[in-house]
Amino acid sequence: MNKMANLVEIKEQKDVARKTPIEIFPDPKIAVVLTNQQSGATNTPLVSVGDTVVIGQKIADSKERISAPVHSPISGKVIKIANVFNSCFEYATEAIYIEGDGRKTKDKTLTPLSEAELKDTSNEVLLKRIRDAGIIGMGGAGFPTSIKLSIPADKKVTTLIVNGAEGEPYDTADERLMIEKTENLVRGVHVVRQILGNPKVIVATKDSKVEAIPKLQEAFGKEPDTQVIAKHLTYQQGDASVLQKAILGYETPPNKRSYEMGTIVQNVSTLNAIANAVFEGEPLISRVTTLNGDVAKPKNLLVKIGTPIADILNQNNINTKDIGNIVVGGVMMGTALQTIDAPVTKRTSSIIYFTKSTVKKAKKATACVHCGRCLNACPVRLQPIAIYNAVIKGDFAKAEKLWAKDCLVCGTCSFVCPSRLPLASTIKMARQ
Amino acid sequence: MSNESPNDLVVNPAPHITGPMSKNRMMQYTFFAILAVTIVSAALWSQVTTPSGWNLGLTVAIGALIAVGIAVAIDLLIGKVTSDSEVNIWSAAVFGLIVINCFSLGFPSMAVGLETGVPVEAPLAFFYIALISLIGIVVFKKVMSLAGRKLVNPAAAAKFLVLLPTLPTTLITAFHLKTGLLQVPALAGGISATSIVNGNGGATFGSYLQACYGLPTAQSPATIESVMFLAKYHGWVGGASSIAVIIAGIALFALGRKYFKWRITVSYLIAIAVLSLIFSFMFGDADLTTRLFFELFIGSSIFMAFFMATDPATTPYSGVGQIIFGVGLAVLTILIQTFMGFFGGSLLALLIMNLTVPLIDRVRIGKPFGR
Repeated sequence: MNKMANLVEIKEQKDVARKTPIEIFPDPKIAVVLTNQQSGATNTPLVSVGDTVVIGQKIADSKERISAPVHSPISGKVIKIANVFNSCFEYATEAIYIEGDGRKTKDKTLTPLSEAELKDTSNEVLLKRIRDAGIIGMGGAGFPTSIKLSIPADKKVTTLIVNGAEGEPYDTADERLMIEKTENLVRGVHVVRQILGNPKVIVATKDSKVEAIPKLQEAFGKEPDTQVIAKHLTYQQGDASVLQKAILGYETPPNKRSYEMGTIVQNVSTLNAIANAVFEGEPLISRVTTLNGDVAKPKNLLVKIGTPIADILNQNNINTKDIGNIVVGGVMMGTALQTIDAPVTKRTSSIIYFTKSTVKKAKKATACVHCGRCLNACPVRLQPIAIYNAVIKGDFAKAEKLWAKDCLVCGTCSFVCPSRLPLASTIKMARQ
Repeated sequence: MSNESPNDLVVNPAPHITGPMSKNRMMQYTFFAILAVTIVSAALWSQVTTPSGWNLGLTVAIGALIAVGIAVAIDLLIGKVTSDSEVNIWSAAVFGLIVINCFSLGFPSMAVGLETGVPVEAPLAFFYIALISLIGIVVFKKVMSLAGRKLVNPAAAAKFLVLLPTLPTTLITAFHLKTGLLQVPALAGGISATSIVNGNGGATFGSYLQACYGLPTAQSPATIESVMFLAKYHGWVGGASSIAVIIAGIALFALGRKYFKWRITVSYLIAIAVLSLIFSFMFGDADLTTRLFFELFIGSSIFMAFFMATDPATTPYSGVGQIIFGVGLAVLTILIQTFMGFFGGSLLALLIMNLTVPLIDRVRIGKPFGR
């Protein structure tokens, strides 16, 4: 029942990065905090130019339900509010520029809880805490976690899957978290488990993460009703719905929410952020991101959200004159930066650098050969080329009939296409 | 900090990496697979000299050079004189090889002394090969591509067009039967290795196969199985050795895993085998292998199954569609060969099936994830 039809293997390219411990990247001199990094309602700034802010202070928020605030990663002064390229949305949006003063003053709004205190804390308080900490799905989707975990009273979640698949090639941030912050993940699972009414837990990871597997087995082995599953997973199985099929064997209808099938899938980075928010009182102001690609030394960096990508490139001696492109958030689904002044966001799981010569090697799109490879590569059994042809002709009704909306935008069809047609991005465009 | 112009960055949509397989590589793999088949054919046929004094192996080699040369030259020329035409040398070269491999050459020993009218001998054969290659690349590859996609297999369509005027006199056995010229038996009746076919000059179907496809200079006729499976000396160049085609074809499918439409080949061959057996029972054949080996392994069947019926552009893209296509091709081929007496009828069958592809591509292929 776990047989997935024709999933495409994609080279992991993680050999060095997965063995490289997380390194703390210094605070930026000027932090560039995008006011909107979540999917859902739009935030507005709570500060103006000239205001002083401290570490972890809420600086933008929305009154709408489906939203998540953002916080200042450093202590300092707001020097300007201006648009900059936002890799979450692939265009420029408003950002708050904060010049650091080097102080370590922290905002004290979120008080740390102990594990004992957690037991006596209500779901309302925990969900509010997760919202106030600005936590969103850090695997790429960016959906506010507090909303995801707010399950209607008549629905019961029986399984929590910890998504440690990290399918994107080059990315190893989650893998390093599983190795180095295993206990913190266990704490994060405690919180989510309590919110969901103590479902069973499955920690799902890939058999290639050889250093992480024993750590997970040791840490989660002590937990009740918890199972660590390490199996061969392809890139596509990092997607929550495809992973559910690999682990639990059923397919979630695209028009149904995951909890309606009794399952919640939580990404490793998000669980780590939840643990930090609840037990350390720290809002989401930093994350682990992988620096990889054509770099001499791949790294996993604990970096403040709002750090300009240029800072990271400069500190790692990357010749900015030889940049072909910079991809953030994964080479399969991520965004190519329009400018290296763009900052790290909550969703920046990786920063992949390619030189000019690497990028030049990429072939241009040519006419479809009609080989049908994209059809049997699609993890959700769509007909990418048929949808593509419909979109090119402007026939959106037909594209919809071919279930264009169900596309995961995983990019596998474009990856396998021998004619290099931009299938995935065209279908994505049609969905919007 | 950075003063780089933002425009220096290459901004493409995701994904930002691509798989190893490209169109060019697919064509290169195909080219070398068919080239291997062509070399085996030329080597086998170098044992034969036709009445006009041409070595048959040399004829194949020269024919291949002509077909590939014209195709590639025209491709380059069109690429040069037009503003946006895609130059695809490997694809043109593959087309050229298919032209020579689906061309009928050789001189059956039973026809010695008869004027057949079939363009099977050099140097006239070269003229036909050149014409097929020229028409195929210009009309069926380049002009059709302008209309969006190729509707029919270019090599098959060009050969059919060029040979159309002489079709009844050269290819359709019903005509030969009437005139008794080549003493070709019809398949619409009982045939076997040993029983005599009515109205066929008192010969058996088995001895027809041996006389038509065997080595003309052989002291004693080879067995039917070895003729059909190992070495034929007449018919499609690409079908000279069925085993060579099968090995090269399987190697190609293995090399370009999931990019080549092996389902068509497999479903076609299975359907042909099943239909042959059904027809054998229907017509009361004395043995079950003669018809089976003929239908499976004549050049127009085995070479087409691996290298023409799988042409990506003119075949369905879904797995289910490919099976429908393969079975349809088999049904049409057997019907044409049996009841029209057109040996090599797979050519016509392929063109008909090619035209059904846009329809087959509309077939619902199961539901998406979770639907």
